[in-house]
Amino acid sequence: MAASTTAQAEQYDFDIIKKFTVMAIVWAVVGMFVGVYIASELAWPFLNFDSPYLSFGRFRPVHTGAVIFGFGGSALFATSYYVVQRTCQTRLWAPGLATFTFWGWQAIIVLAALSYVTGYSQGREYAEMEWPIDILIEIVWVSYLAVFIGTLMNRKQPHIYVANWFYLSFILATALLHTFNNLAVPVGLFTLKSYSLFSGPQDAMTQWWYGHNAVGFFLTAAFLGMMYYFVPKHAGRPVYSYRLSIVHFWALSFMYMWVGTHHLHWTALPDWASTLGATFSIMLLLPSWGGMINGIMTLSGAWDKLRTDPIMRFMIVALSFYGMSTFEGPLMSLKDVNALSHYTDWTVGHVHSGALGWVAMISFGSIYHMLPRLWNTQMYSTKLINAHFWLATIGVLLYITAMWISGISQGLMWRAFDEFGNLQYSFVESVAAMYPFYVMRAVGGMFFLAGMVLMAYNSYMTIRQGVRQAQAAGQPAAVAA
Amino acid sequence: MFKNFKHEALETNTGLLLVATMFAISIGGLVEIAPLFLIDDTMEKVDGVRPYTPLEQRGRDLYIREGCYTCHSQMIRPFRDELLRYGHYSLAAESKYDHPFQWGSKRTGPDLARVGGKYSDEWHVQHLIKPTSVVPESVMPNYPWLLETPLDYSDVGDRMRALRTTGVPYSATQAEYDQNVKQFGAEVAAQLHIPDAQKNLVAQAQAGNYDGDRSSVTEMDAMVAYLQVLGTMVDFSKVKPEDLVKYR
Amino acid sequence: MLEWLAQAENSKPLGLLIFFITFCLIVLWVYGSRKRGERLEEHKNIPFLDEEDEAKEEKHGK
Repeated sequence: MAASTTAQAEQYDFDIIKKFTVMAIVWAVVGMFVGVYIASELAWPFLNFDSPYLSFGRFRPVHTGAVIFGFGGSALFATSYYVVQRTCQTRLWAPGLATFTFWGWQAIIVLAALSYVTGYSQGREYAEMEWPIDILIEIVWVSYLAVFIGTLMNRKQPHIYVANWFYLSFILATALLHTFNNLAVPVGLFTLKSYSLFSGPQDAMTQWWYGHNAVGFFLTAAFLGMMYYFVPKHAGRPVYSYRLSIVHFWALSFMYMWVGTHHLHWTALPDWASTLGATFSIMLLLPSWGGMINGIMTLSGAWDKLRTDPIMRFMIVALSFYGMSTFEGPLMSLKDVNALSHYTDWTVGHVHSGALGWVAMISFGSIYHMLPRLWNTQMYSTKLINAHFWLATIGVLLYITAMWISGISQGLMWRAFDEFGNLQYSFVESVAAMYPFYVMRAVGGMFFLAGMVLMAYNSYMTIRQGVRQAQAAGQPAAVAA
Repeated sequence: MFKNFKHEALETNTGLLLVATMFAISIGGLVEIAPLFLIDDTMEKVDGVRPYTPLEQRGRDLYIREGCYTCHSQMIRPFRDELLRYGHYSLAAESKYDHPFQWGSKRTGPDLARVGGKYSDEWHVQHLIKPTSVVPESVMPNYPWLLETPLDYSDVGDRMRALRTTGVPYSATQAEYDQNVKQFGAEVAAQLHIPDAQKNLVAQAQAGNYDGDRSSVTEMDAMVAYLQVLGTMVDFSKVKPEDLVKYR
Repeated sequence: MLEWLAQAENSKPLGLLIFFITFCLIVLWVYGSRKRGERLEEHKNIPFLDEEDEAKEEKHGK
């Protein structure tokens, strides 16, 4: 055992992956806690406590930043460094630079959160970070690209495995989006405040080109990379159709970039642009479902494991939610549906069925798969993984059901007329009617968070166990993170 | 043609894969974004839209600081219910000096694109300090600190200069000022002159007396000044609907 | 032809055309020949070539 550990530690660079994995779990707990808190603020507004630092408007980007970039980002760094090494059968290129991406990325998440609560924001959703943080992101991201490409070029395996294509496309697209969406003129060298270079429709177009592709590449393409490695690997079966994965990749990379304008239906953006976005959104259903079918077919034939292995369950539920939200998305991009759903909680529900159901679940599955391999031990408790699975599933279902009901009711109440042709409801009546659903959503979030806390505990115990076993086997702290 | 092409080339060559992926992801953005900058049809030609005064701009900064856009949109859509509830649908021209745009994506609270002039200054002050005091069912947070915090306007000139760099016609020179007089009239042009920014800001806060206390300029003054100008710049009685339609 | 391309309102059919042609090309590459198909499919085993830890998994994977 000790001998194989040594061999493994030498074969691949695991230290950086361990760091990112631990931080992914930490940010998931923090980010989901803030999420539950702001959801509770909407149900019980006294929780704002008249404090600028806790008020919903400043706290909401703390939630989105911590879960998307903290949890999602760290999980992607960890898994991409893991997958690229294993599928290229080589060590990371420039491990020093990789370590820099770790510290740089963690600094970004912390600085961003601090800047939001102290009142610095670009006022652009999911890109609230002000210009000095944006520059730091740019530097870290280019380093990440360099490490990833350097490792690909050092590969011992002639073929570049498809998971790496998805990761590469995610890194490139994120660089492109981040750069153009954050063009801004700072007020001064010693202030965080800046003004975006574009205004009005051009600014809206750039922001939602970014906003939707953050979903498309950061939260989809990259996690598909995760799926294409961890699902086959964990099931012990190769991917169902490699050719389908190639079509999936090119169609997805090409088409996602067009769809952002469906966030701007019926606005002052010229009609042709939003119609084009809707058209591509509908076509995007095909590659999305192609990918989902590819994943599910990979698992078919390993169904027996589904009964005994909660990690497999995470993966299959993640794929199901991927299929569901990539169906719901094109539906909501139809202009008539969007007229009802836009500006309502339905959008929030849709985002969370993707983010909790797909992104978080596939990450949980992948992290549970990696943990024992990184620390060369076994999971502390499979029962806890199982409990996590059920808490998470119930949590997502509560969340999205609440948001469907509240979103559709809002949409219908806003457009309801009485028999005299006047508006039937004042706006605040729609607010009051949402109270039970806001409570239900907060409860759903609490379930999901509770599952996440179990995962953190289980991971902590697993790591402790791995470190102790390594020490007992006569290995000093080198193996510890 | 593709009989000779081997996808293997991409699968085994990092550089080629990189270039091909970059190509695939660039097209969508180019096709949709570039025309908006090239065609002048994007923006309606309507009178009245002007850059914000120094006080209004500082109010807008606070609007962004507090993250109001996370719950309020500023984009009225062309539907009958929105016309009755909020007013005429929003024009692209109305946000042409908005850096960044604040159209929003969520209405936990109502749209604010035309909130200007709908409520009195006193109502806004009351509402911002404690929303439930005027709208009992509201879930909006209280913003008492706006009334307690003096407005920091020491760098308002720098802020306007930064906006000027992005293309907002704030004037730094006499020639630019003269140009603004031609475009917006003398009264507005004076407000847009960067060297007088602090003086103008204080004067507007005292004359407007938004927070009911003339002795100091607070953040509340700026916030209410901004809210009260929203959607009021274009006089729709002078706009012919057929002139607007072709821009959609 | 060039004038038609320069008009913004034509970008939708143009986009469709670009997409459709690209999609057909990809599908033809991928499914066009049996030999290429077989070669492509063999790459699906890469994740299982990475190391000797399969045996260990059996031992720990309870």
